[in-house]
Amino acid sequence: MIRSESGAPAPAIEVNDLTVAYGEQPVLWDIDLTIRQGSLTAIVGPNGAGKTTLIKAVLELVPRAAGRVEVLGRPYREARGEVAYVPQRGSVDWDFPTSVLDVVLMGTYGRLGWIRRPGRRERREAMEALEKVGMEAFADRQISQLSGGQQQRVFLARALVQEARIHLMDEPFQGVDARTEKAIVEVLRELRARGDTVVCVHHALQTVREYFDEVAILNVRMIAAGPVDEAFTEQNLRLAYGGRVPFLQGVTGFEVPGDGP
Amino acid sequence: MTDGGLFHALLFDYTLRTVALGAGALGVVAGALGCFAVLRRQSLLGDAISHAALPGIGLAFLLTGSRATPVLVLGAALAGWIGTLFVLGIVKHSRIPEDSALGIILSVFFGIGLVILTFVQRRPTAAQAGLETFLFGQAATLMVRDVLLIVGVGAGALLLLALFWKEFKLLTFDREFGGALGFPMVRIDILLTTLLVVGIVLGLQTVGVVLMSALVVAPAAAARQWTNSLSVMVVLAGVLGGVAGVTGALVSATGGGMPTGPVIVLMASAVVVVSLLVAPGRGLASELVRRFRVRRRVRADVVLSDLYALAVQHDESGEHAHPVAVLRAMHGGQAGTRRSLGVLAERGWAREVEPGRWAITPKGVERARTLFLPGGEEDGVETVGRGGVAPGGGL
Repeated sequence: MIRSESGAPAPAIEVNDLTVAYGEQPVLWDIDLTIRQGSLTAIVGPNGAGKTTLIKAVLELVPRAAGRVEVLGRPYREARGEVAYVPQRGSVDWDFPTSVLDVVLMGTYGRLGWIRRPGRRERREAMEALEKVGMEAFADRQISQLSGGQQQRVFLARALVQEARIHLMDEPFQGVDARTEKAIVEVLRELRARGDTVVCVHHALQTVREYFDEVAILNVRMIAAGPVDEAFTEQNLRLAYGGRVPFLQGVTGFEVPGDGP
Repeated sequence: MTDGGLFHALLFDYTLRTVALGAGALGVVAGALGCFAVLRRQSLLGDAISHAALPGIGLAFLLTGSRATPVLVLGAALAGWIGTLFVLGIVKHSRIPEDSALGIILSVFFGIGLVILTFVQRRPTAAQAGLETFLFGQAATLMVRDVLLIVGVGAGALLLLALFWKEFKLLTFDREFGGALGFPMVRIDILLTTLLVVGIVLGLQTVGVVLMSALVVAPAAAARQWTNSLSVMVVLAGVLGGVAGVTGALVSATGGGMPTGPVIVLMASAVVVVSLLVAPGRGLASELVRRFRVRRRVRADVVLSDLYALAVQHDESGEHAHPVAVLRAMHGGQAGTRRSLGVLAERGWAREVEPGRWAITPKGVERARTLFLPGGEEDGVETVGRGGVAPGGGL
């Protein structure tokens, strides 16, 4: 565990007064968020709430209008090697001429640096990552032949070979089959078991309580953040999703654990 | 000229050899670089760059009075590059979408270029300028030093492409992931775009500003049809571009002053058409075969499910035979029932008990039952598409 100068464990991610704007419209407004090491955190909120932007702001992929982000007590550019990223599956062209193994190998590019190519060692690591997500048989497959769930598992494997300790995932459960969902949950728990931190943008409110320890409820502003038991209340969700939303009925309670969509 | 004569000329005619070498090298460079433009959906950018280069050629001539290739190429490269920057700037700072920005820059720069060219031609020195060959290209004007420039600069561009292969691949496939890894994606983008500009302006004398983008796009589009590997695609596009360049230049140089650009483009287009039609996996022919197979399978499944329904109604072990006419009537008298029964018999799912009367087999019953199970998304089942249909449906 990485400790700050005072000796207390540094938070995995610390966001202070973060504001991001596209044009004049603020997408994130004055966000404060502390994610502790070793937690599984869900970021939830309605469409356009800025969930993806929050992750991208941590990764310095979008310019900040104001605020500060620290990863393990350091600026992101110094802590980059500790952070893995799983973008939204739909953000790339799956008809790109390349194989599954090749995509996973991209996770090693950061470590390799400029010009150097992945070698035998990187290939072995990529195969191990594919095994962890149950995709080793698909290593040589062209990526356009994958189903949505398989694509998601390939992206997860690519993040695993980054050998990071903080994992930022943008909707890893979006549109995947039951088998993939189970495989991803298993991987998330393994990561937590070894002390890693996982942050997921998440859509299915029904599974928040089952899969995650902590939750951040977002709608441009931070509505609530903290342990699921405390923050994941119907009232907070109403604040985020607005008014009377019938589908929210019951999703915060224990009585419907993991009742899938 | 006969083929033998052309071959003889290629071997022994110094000028022809020079021209063929230049156009071939150009095709290799443009084809290889074009792969990235195509995969990044920037085919139109290539067109904008080549058109935007025209005023650069005219201005370079006006300012220096020289029509030496390096001077003109430099002018073309600068203008092409500035045009690209304008496109990016318009997209970033206005609400004009990229395709419109490309159209604006392409036509405005090309218009300026034509005006300058006309102005140059009215001057007394115009006769020697011959700048109008830059419109449609004239490979016959290639000198040895021009070819050396193409080969030298082109080799440099390909070397950089090989060197930064990993970075360019990352940029093309998943730019944001590359950014998160810490690679300066903007700078990598600028480098790759610059290489594309270089590849394009090298070809302006040979192919011309109007059609140069075809030599960038066509070989790459054709190569994509034949392979699912980026490296194979780039090599193949280089080869196809080279072949198109050599043949186009030869036909043009021996065909009485026919402009080279159109001939090269026709060659490249022929390769594209053939690739679109017959390439395995992605070609139109294999797509039709695939659709035919799927349709045949679905039709057979329909007949099988009818046989199954009949067997269930008769509460027998499926050995009760039914006339073909009944089966045909069950799905609206559609033709092809007999053919579907043939398919089922091949798989052992149905048999003809007596002429014209069919029964479902135990194996067929098993198969029919799986047809009605909800098919979840599981490994092994590929979407009906590139992978083809797994035998037996793989349910």
